[in-house]
Amino acid sequence: EQPEFSYRQRLKAAVHYTAGCLCEEVASDKEVQFSRQTIAAISELTFRQCENFARDLEMFARHARRSTINTEDVKLLARRNHSLLKYITEKNEEITQCNLER
Amino acid sequence: MEGAIPGFRKELVSKLLHLHFKDDKTRVSGDALHLLAELLKIFVVEAAIRSVRQAQAEDLTQVDVDQLEKVLPQLLLDF
Repeated sequence: EQPEFSYRQRLKAAVHYTAGCLCEEVASDKEVQFSRQTIAAISELTFRQCENFARDLEMFARHARRSTINTEDVKLLARRNHSLLKYITEKNEEITQCNLER
Repeated sequence: MEGAIPGFRKELVSKLLHLHFKDDKTRVSGDALHLLAELLKIFVVEAAIRSVRQAQAEDLTQVDVDQLEKVLPQLLLDF
């Protein structure tokens, strides 16, 4: 069990690093400071949110009889939040456009 | 500035997802990973900005866990 635990910790640390960078951006933009505990709490939150996302995505794909999760499944994640869905849909089109150009 | 904004790496997103999949055969397309990385970034930035707004409403210059706690229920409902 020990190795799995440390793998989890390493992933958590990576999430913490990215969340820290993003909070730093917001902090300098809004001219405020985040306490270390707040950044830690946001990363923990994000790490746990990944569990919900993963379970939902897996079920959405299976519902469509697929074993590979695609962008349609990710869009379904954002279905309840209109502005989020709009943003994600636009991003998706951007990504598709990028792929076409390549 | 757009390109300079840090985000989640696709490899990390992939590993985070595979940690929780029930079925080992589940795969994720590259585009889906890209999009999900974007979604996670929005999640973090929303958490940060909403806490800042809460702190400003309370006339604080430092955002603490208390402010995050207050905006948490609505944040989770929105995602």
